[in-house]
Amino acid sequence: MEDDVLTTLKILIIGESGVGKSSLLLRFTDDTFDPEQSATIGVDFKVKTLSVDGNKAKLAIWDTAGQERFRTLTPSYYRGAQGVILVYDVTRRDTFTKLDNWLNELETYCTRNDLVKMLVGNKIDKDNHDVDRAEGLKFARKHSMLFIEASAKTKDGVQCAFEELVEKIIQTPGLWQSESHGRAVQLTDEDAGGGSCGGYCSLL
Amino acid sequence: MAADNDPESEVFEITDFTTASEWERFVSRVEEVLNEWKLTESYVGKSSPGKGAFVSGSWGEQSHDVHFADFKFHITHHFLKEEEGQQEDGRSEEETLPPAMHDLLCMSNDFPPRAHCLVRWFGLREFVVISPGANCEAIISESKCNLLLSSVSMSLTNSGCQVPMFVQIQQKWRRIYAGECQGPGVRTDFEIVHLRKVPSQYNHLSGLLDIFKSKIVSRGSQTWGDGTVYENHRNHSVRLSRFGSRVSFGSCAAPFSHRRSVYTPGQKVAVLDLDPLEAPHWSVRVRTADNLQCLLGDFITEFFKLCCRKESAEEVLGRSHAEEEGPENSDISSALSKLTEPAAPVPLSKLSVSSMVHSARKHIRRRRHIDESPLNTDVLNSILLFLFPDAAVEKTDREKTTPSNSSRKTDQERSSQDNLFLHLKSAPSDSLTYRLALCLCMVNYSYGGLPAVTHLWQEFVLELRYRWENNYLIYGLAAGPPDLRCCLLHQKLQMLNCCIERKRSRDEARKAQEGSRERERPASGGRASASSTREGSGGKSWDSWSDSEDEFFECLSDQGDMEASQNEGGRDGSKGKAEGRLHPYNNMTLLASAEPLYVPVTQEPAPMTEDQLEEQSEVLAKLGTSAEGTHLRARMQSACLLSDMESFKAANPGCLLEDFVRWYSPRDYVEEEVVDETGQTVLRGELSARMKIPGNMWVEAWDSARVTPARRQKRLFDDTKEAEKVLHYLAMLKPADLAHHLLPCILHAAILKLKQEESLENIPSVEKSLQQATSQANKLLHAANRDHKKVEDFINQLVAMETAIAEARSLQAKFAVDEEEDNEGPAELKRFITSLLEEPEVEVMGAGQARIGRTIHRLFINAQRVSRYPLSGRHAALDLSRVAHWQLGRFCFKRLVLIG
Repeated sequence: MEDDVLTTLKILIIGESGVGKSSLLLRFTDDTFDPEQSATIGVDFKVKTLSVDGNKAKLAIWDTAGQERFRTLTPSYYRGAQGVILVYDVTRRDTFTKLDNWLNELETYCTRNDLVKMLVGNKIDKDNHDVDRAEGLKFARKHSMLFIEASAKTKDGVQCAFEELVEKIIQTPGLWQSESHGRAVQLTDEDAGGGSCGGYCSLL
Repeated sequence: MAADNDPESEVFEITDFTTASEWERFVSRVEEVLNEWKLTESYVGKSSPGKGAFVSGSWGEQSHDVHFADFKFHITHHFLKEEEGQQEDGRSEEETLPPAMHDLLCMSNDFPPRAHCLVRWFGLREFVVISPGANCEAIISESKCNLLLSSVSMSLTNSGCQVPMFVQIQQKWRRIYAGECQGPGVRTDFEIVHLRKVPSQYNHLSGLLDIFKSKIVSRGSQTWGDGTVYENHRNHSVRLSRFGSRVSFGSCAAPFSHRRSVYTPGQKVAVLDLDPLEAPHWSVRVRTADNLQCLLGDFITEFFKLCCRKESAEEVLGRSHAEEEGPENSDISSALSKLTEPAAPVPLSKLSVSSMVHSARKHIRRRRHIDESPLNTDVLNSILLFLFPDAAVEKTDREKTTPSNSSRKTDQERSSQDNLFLHLKSAPSDSLTYRLALCLCMVNYSYGGLPAVTHLWQEFVLELRYRWENNYLIYGLAAGPPDLRCCLLHQKLQMLNCCIERKRSRDEARKAQEGSRERERPASGGRASASSTREGSGGKSWDSWSDSEDEFFECLSDQGDMEASQNEGGRDGSKGKAEGRLHPYNNMTLLASAEPLYVPVTQEPAPMTEDQLEEQSEVLAKLGTSAEGTHLRARMQSACLLSDMESFKAANPGCLLEDFVRWYSPRDYVEEEVVDETGQTVLRGELSARMKIPGNMWVEAWDSARVTPARRQKRLFDDTKEAEKVLHYLAMLKPADLAHHLLPCILHAAILKLKQEESLENIPSVEKSLQQATSQANKLLHAANRDHKKVEDFINQLVAMETAIAEARSLQAKFAVDEEEDNEGPAELKRFITSLLEEPEVEVMGAGQARIGRTIHRLFINAQRVSRYPLSGRHAALDLSRVAHWQLGRFCFKRLVLIG
C-alpha cells in the first residue's frame, strides 16, 4: 500500500477563525460534516491518500487555529509545506479582507517560495453572501492562486479543491521531488575544436 | 541471364558478406554510418550560411565508433546547426558543386574565432572526421594513411556523400588532417603541411602565393575556372598566413597565452611582407591556464573538507581538555563573584569583564601547558574579542549599548543585503554566527586546521555558558524568537539569547521585588533570612534561585496565600483584586458588570528552533487522525490557552467565558439584534454554537483555569532547561557537524565577496553566474539532506567565478603598465579587456600602431625572452597570476584583521 505512493505532500489550511477550515478538512478526509465541530486549538492533523492522474499522493494536512493568539504558534507549521489552502467565509467580509495578513504571514514563514496557494471561499450553501465570486477570483488572480468556492456542508467543491491543489503541486517541478534537478552553470565555454590553433599550413 | 530479369530471383538473392575482408567491412561500416546520419542525401538547395553564422550559430556533433580489425576509430560528424525556418535560396539545379566547395569559396565566414580547427582552416560548415580512438596509437605510417584515405574515398563514392571527410593522421597534438570531398565530377583533396620552422621564402604573402600557384599547376584542377581558383586560393593563403607566430609564443605554463591573428584583406596582397606588426588588422584571443589556485576557493574547499571528518571534539583534543573544564568554570565564576560582590574593592566601572575572563583563561592555560594548545593564546584572544566585541566595552556601558546597537544594525543589513541570507539559509552578515563561520574558516586554513577549529569551538561554547550563567546577552544576534529562516546553529544561539533574556528579566524583577520587600518588612521570618543566605553565596545566588524554583514563570512565593483566596473568589465570580492588566480592550465592558474589559499580561509562547518544531510536529502527527488523537492533540496544545485564560481571569475579576471569547476569538461571540419584551431592539450576544458544545475543550479549559496572573503561573517556557539543552547540544557538536552547520554562512560570505569583487571589475558573465548560483544555492541549502556532491559542484562554480575575476585582474595588470603614456583613456582599455573575457576573439583597434597593440607586442617579446629560460619564465608567469589572487584573497585578511 505504502509502496505505490508517489510522494507525501504537506498541506496547510489557514484563515480567520470560524471560516470552516476544520469542516473543509473533515469533509475531505472523512466525507462528513459535523455542525458541532469545536474550535481548533493550536494545530490539528489529518492524513489522506489521494490519486491524481494515476499518481498516488499521501497528503499530510495541517489544520490551524485562526485565533490571533494562536498565530504565534502556528507559523512553525508553515515550514516545508508544498501547498496551502487559504479559506475565507463568503458570508463574512472581514474574513476576506484579512486575507492580505494571511498572505504576509505566509510570505514570512514559509520556506519555499514556489509553494502552491489555493483560495477557497467557504459556506456557499448559505444565502447571505457578503463576498461575491468575482471578488474572490480577482484576489486569487492578483496573487496567482488557485480559486474555488466550496461548501463543507453540502460537499460542493471540496474534493475538487484538494485534487486541483495536489495536481498543481505534482505539476510544479522541483516542488515535491526530494532532489532538485538544477542544471549546473558552466562558466567556461568548451567548444569542440579547443582553443589552440596549431602552427600548420594547409596546402591544396 | 534470363533469371536476372525474373523479379522473383531478386527476392531470394542472398548477399553473402561472410568472406569480406576487414578493410571491406570497415568501408561498409563507414558507409553505414554515413547513411545513418543521412549525409548521403542531395544537398542542392541548401543555402549558404550568412555572415558570422559560424560564430553566432551553434555547432552540432554526433559520433560513432568503427573498427578496423581490432583497431578502434572514432568517426565524428561536425555540423553547423541550421536555423529553423531558413529560406532555401533559389540556386539552380545545374549548379552541382557540393556545398563544401561553396564554403571554401565563400568569404563571409573566414576565420571564425572559436570553432573546430578544420572549420577555421577550410571554412567548412559540415564535415566528418575519422580519428583513432582513445588509447589507440596514431596513424603515422604512410601506407596506413593511404589505406585510410582510400577507405574514405571508397565510402564517399559508394554512398554518394558530398560532405567532406577527413582522417586525422600523425600525432594527435599536431592536428594534421587529410581529407577529401566528392561531388559529381569534382573532387577536392584537403591536405595539411606542418612546418616546424617557416622557411624564409614563405614568410611573406607573395612567397605563399607562389606555393599555391605551383600546387595548382602541378595538380591541375578539373572543372574549376582558373580565375575562381585564384581568388579562392588567395583567400586560403591568408588563412595560413601567420602560423609562425604561435609556435614561438603560447607557453602553456603562462596563465594567459596570447595568440595573434593577423589578417590581410585582399587588395593589399601585392608586396606585403608578413610582419605581424605591419598588419592593419589584429585580433587577439586569450587562453587561460588550467587549475589556477585561488585563495577564496581554497578557503572554502578546505572548510568543506571539515564536513567529512569523523572525529569528535574529544578525539581531536584529547581527554585532558574536557576534564579541565571543571576548574575553569569555577575560576570564571569566582572571577564573577568578584564582580558581583557589592563591596568589591575595584570600582565596577573600571572593571572589564573580558579582562577578568581572559586572565582566568590564561591562568588555566598556563596549567595546561601552553604549547599543547592548538591555538596560540594571542590568536585565540583576538578571535574571541572579534566574536564578542562587547566584552571589551566597559561593563556598565555595555549594559546600555549592546541591545539597541545590534538590533539597529541588523535592520540595516536586512534591507541592504537583499536578504541573501534568507536565500541561503545562513545568517545575517553582521551576526555572531556569520562571524564565527569566518573565524573558523580562517583558523582552519591558516592557524592549525581541525585541532584549532575544535579548540576555538570549545572556547566559544565556554564563553556562551559564561554569558548564560551571568545574564549577559550574546552580542550580535537579532532579538526575538529563533529566526527559522536562518541556519540551525544561528537559531540555537538565538534560543540561548532568549533564555538569557527571560532569565535576566526574571532576576531583575525578583531583585526589585526583593528590594522593596526588604524595605517593607526588613526582618520577617524565615524567607528574609533565606534570601540573605542566598546573597551570601555571591555570584551563584541568582542561579540557585532559578534552579530551585524554576517551575514558576515569575514566582513571588510570599503571595501564595493571597493567591489561594483569589482563586476562590474567581471561581464564584465575586470581585477580587485585579492583577496583570495590560490595557483596556476596545472600550468594552464585562458582560456581568460595568468594569472595562482588560487585555491581560500574558506569557510569551515558548520560542522554538526548527529541530524542536520538527520533533513537536512529529509527536503531534503520531497521535494519529482519530477523534481521540485530535482531542489529545488539542489538549497538548492547550497549555497556552489555559495560561491566557488564567491571566484573563486575574485581570478581569468577575468575568465570564463570553468575555474571554470576545477578546480571544471575537467571531465566536455572535451578536444579534432582537426585539425585547418592551418592543425595543437590543443587541443580544451569545457564544457561537461550537463554543456552546457541552464539554468542549474551551469550556473545559475555562472551568479549570484558576485566577492567576501570568507572572505567577507555571512557566510555559523553561529557560533554564532550554538553555542547558542548547549548551549541551553545542558542546556535543563534532567539528564536522559544526562545519556542516556553518557551511551556508561560508558560502554566503563567498558569494558576497564575489559580488563585491565583481562590482569592482564589472564582468557581466560573472555577474550572471552569480545570480544563477544564488538561486541554485537556495535549493541546495534548503534541502533536508544536503547532497555532498552537489555542494562540491557548487563550490567549484564559485571557484570558477573567482578565477574569472582573477583573470580579469591579471589582464588589467598586464595592459595597464604604462597608463600615463597617452590619454586614450582607461575606458577604452576597460572595454577591450571586458570583450577579451566575454568574446572568443577581439579585434585590436589600430592594430600594431595603437597602444593596446604595442602592449601586446611587448608582452609577446617578453614571453619570447622568458621562454628561452623556461624555468624563470614559468615563475614570472606564476607571479603575475599570484598578484591577482592575492588581491582577491585579501578579503579574509581585511575582514579578520582583528585576529591577525
